[in-house]
Amino acid sequence: MLSGELSERPPDHAARWWLLSSVVWLTIVDLFGMTLAIEFVSPDAFAGIPFLEFGRIRPMHVNGVILAWLTMMYFGALFYMLPRLVGTPGMWSERLGVWTAIAWNVMFALAVVALATGHNQGKEYGELIWPLDIAVLVIWLANIFNILMTVSIRTIRPLYVTVWWFIASPLWLAADYAIGNVVWNPGDIWGSRSGMLGGSLQDGMLNWWYAHNLFGLWLTPMLIALTYYLVPRITNTPLYSYSLSLVSFWGMAFFYTGVGDHHLLQTPTPAWLKTVATLSSISLMIPVFAFTINILGTMKGNWEKFFTNLPLRFTMTAFVFYFLVNVQGAFQAVQPFNQMTHFTNFVVAHAHLALLGGFTILGMGAVDYCVAQIYRRPLWSRTLSEWQYWLVTIGFTGFFSALTMAGFIQGQSWSAGIPEVNVLPLLHPWFIARAVFGAMIVLSGIVQMVNIFLTVRGDTATRLAARVEHASGRPPAVAGSSGAT
Amino acid sequence: MTPLMSSIGAMIAFAAVVFIVVLLPVQTFNPKASADWAPLSNAALAGRQVFLSNGCVYCHSGFSRPQDVRAGLYYLYPKVSLPGDFYGTDQVPNVLGTERTGPDLTNEGGFHPDDWHFAHFYDPRYVDPFSLMPSFRYLSDDQVRDLTAFVQERSGKTGLLRYAGMLYAKHVDIAAQAYKPPPTGFQGAQRTNEQAQEQGTPADVIGGNILPQPDVVNLNEADRSYWLANDPLPLTTANLLRGKEIFRERCIACHGSLGDGDGPAAKFMSPPPADFTDHDDQCCGADTSPGDFYYRVLRGFPGTAMENFGTRLSVDDIWRVVMFLKTIPNGTLKSSRIPTPKDYIQWVPQDDLKAYIKAHPIEDMAPFTERQLPSDPFMVEAERMFPGMAPGDTILVPNVGRISLDTASAGIADIYMKLLNTAWDEARARGENLPPDSQKNILPDPIGVGS
Repeated sequence: MLSGELSERPPDHAARWWLLSSVVWLTIVDLFGMTLAIEFVSPDAFAGIPFLEFGRIRPMHVNGVILAWLTMMYFGALFYMLPRLVGTPGMWSERLGVWTAIAWNVMFALAVVALATGHNQGKEYGELIWPLDIAVLVIWLANIFNILMTVSIRTIRPLYVTVWWFIASPLWLAADYAIGNVVWNPGDIWGSRSGMLGGSLQDGMLNWWYAHNLFGLWLTPMLIALTYYLVPRITNTPLYSYSLSLVSFWGMAFFYTGVGDHHLLQTPTPAWLKTVATLSSISLMIPVFAFTINILGTMKGNWEKFFTNLPLRFTMTAFVFYFLVNVQGAFQAVQPFNQMTHFTNFVVAHAHLALLGGFTILGMGAVDYCVAQIYRRPLWSRTLSEWQYWLVTIGFTGFFSALTMAGFIQGQSWSAGIPEVNVLPLLHPWFIARAVFGAMIVLSGIVQMVNIFLTVRGDTATRLAARVEHASGRPPAVAGSSGAT
Repeated sequence: MTPLMSSIGAMIAFAAVVFIVVLLPVQTFNPKASADWAPLSNAALAGRQVFLSNGCVYCHSGFSRPQDVRAGLYYLYPKVSLPGDFYGTDQVPNVLGTERTGPDLTNEGGFHPDDWHFAHFYDPRYVDPFSLMPSFRYLSDDQVRDLTAFVQERSGKTGLLRYAGMLYAKHVDIAAQAYKPPPTGFQGAQRTNEQAQEQGTPADVIGGNILPQPDVVNLNEADRSYWLANDPLPLTTANLLRGKEIFRERCIACHGSLGDGDGPAAKFMSPPPADFTDHDDQCCGADTSPGDFYYRVLRGFPGTAMENFGTRLSVDDIWRVVMFLKTIPNGTLKSSRIPTPKDYIQWVPQDDLKAYIKAHPIEDMAPFTERQLPSDPFMVEAERMFPGMAPGDTILVPNVGRISLDTASAGIADIYMKLLNTAWDEARARGENLPPDSQKNILPDPIGVGS
């Protein structure tokens, strides 16, 4: 079906499975989030239904965003990019990549069932019960093995920056996950007394070190890796600086690993650890600025593509939000700021600035880019892609602003001695705004899902032909796609 | 960089930091149990699992910060959490939390009686119309009893002390008013409000009390200086309207939309919520002066589900709602009705109350400037439960006997010791790593006594 030239391209079996699964999960986890937003506005909306209770949906949303949507998207992009970067005819084992994708989907479907029925390890961000922790690690290690083997059979000897992260980041996460979930201490494997340390505060310190490194050692490095791939690739420009890449890599490794305790700045835990966390959080600006300068340097002279190329627009939008979240995070980790923001919706806004504004918007661009490349055809509809972009960008900006306002109201009110329950009516309008903007984000995910699956179904050839004719000679968006029939 | 550098090198960097921020603190930071620490009973530990598996920690943090106390949220945050408060394996996994959509629960133990919690878990809007908490009506009776035990026992010894005081006061209230004990779990949901209000005949004037039985207990549960206090605000339509608004915002879930004590939460509670519709009670009741009402809204009604609203309502607003209460028998709660000064029922102390007050003058209490918190924590709690009782006063309560501050304090100490011993015995049987027995014998230190 494909021409000879194209058949040499990596088959991308694994990438397809991971990417297409992630797109479906995005909508599912968005709907979990939407349920939560509705419950903030109308707490009796689903009253008495155990699996829709706030405290059960929330870990489904949080774990789903991290493990189902973002992780599957990242591995999909990794399986697409890695062979192209190291010059192999595909992953070391595409088949293994497909099986791990299937296993991962099954794992998370079971996780949803477990959380919905109240089987919960009881640690924030580490809610999955012990058997599922083991499943996560086994699948994860299989992927690491696949990645390392692919690197070992590479034909391009020097490793591009992105590949550094592709090697290091899954390794870090595997170690983080195993240590953070204390997997060597199974305990009550179906319930909340598994995977824990002997003392409550030790457990807390480990919990937050682990939780923050889900972002620090996996989600953020992978954002950097993908950005280092997408920006030079789409703009057809070499990366601005090799040295800055080194600064960003080692800076992340040393500074990000130690920030977790900034979640516990006001707990009765050792002060020296809080100092380490605060200093690490501020020092994080070093690798972040290195990365920022590197990407801006690469973008120099290429900004017109920001307006014409959608994956690049997603990537650079995410890049801006990512930069902001780091600056914000550094401030939040400083005691006086933390005293006003901690426990408020300011933190929820901050978390969404990273996971929604940063990683998710990047992920949307990455999925759109990779799927178009893998299937050698432009997306089914550029208009839908534009809708997807503006829905998520406007939706997120409104969502973030509403929660930040809610956070200010909470912080100021509490410090004036107004108890939580009296503050709730003041938050109500902001919670309504959050739900409305949140609905735009859900819609954006659905638009992407529709667009991607219509693209995959292969309708685009005839549509494209018609469009090319209509546009009187304007070339199709993806070079070589006319080869697909 | 080479693959080796990106894998092994990266892991070495990771391991170096993990050594500093994970291994060091986990291995070196192991605080001893604080003086206030207490273990959890089996029921409370089971309740902790319910707490975790339903994600309560996502809205309720589990440590109290210095600024929480400084900000004056002292009803819920009377003490700052210390490292030793988190001692022991029954407090793992941690419930430190990251959000306060609802209040911090570190010091919640004993602030509400069990029947308040059962109604609250069944439908949080029953007891707090502003609440955003989900309904937990899908929990079984056992689960919600365990969960309530956890909430009551999680606050260490000071929490157990408050809880003991609450249990003691409820025992006295129920006996004095001849109510049945409150239903446990969600069994209240099966009752009708009529069943909840079923009452035997309270003893009348007994034991030289001058006043009928319930009135005596009720008066002793309010500070003596409020017994004859009048509303200091001018009687205006504006004040009454504001009072009505507050009543409709905060009070109708228990006291009913018509103020007759027939709100949806009433079926869970014993004693049931007060009925404000009786004209005679409003004009001439012994324990219904504006001051008595004000005190109960400000500080709560010991042993009942009536909370303190002192942190949530301004002083003016409490007086306004009290002013409005005095118009309810004239139908002012109807939605289109604007309460006017004409609706106000002037409260007038009757002869029996005057006689009682003469026999129990405010001079019996130590003058305000000379008052000191007793050094005995159980006496502190007894005085909190019976702030109207002077040293040497006694009340005869059917089924309870003659109570004074001394017997109340002994009764509270008894309940406290039972709670603490049960928790210790059960924790020991579970094989928890308990601190030395000397820790158990340290008495609780309610706010301000030891410091």
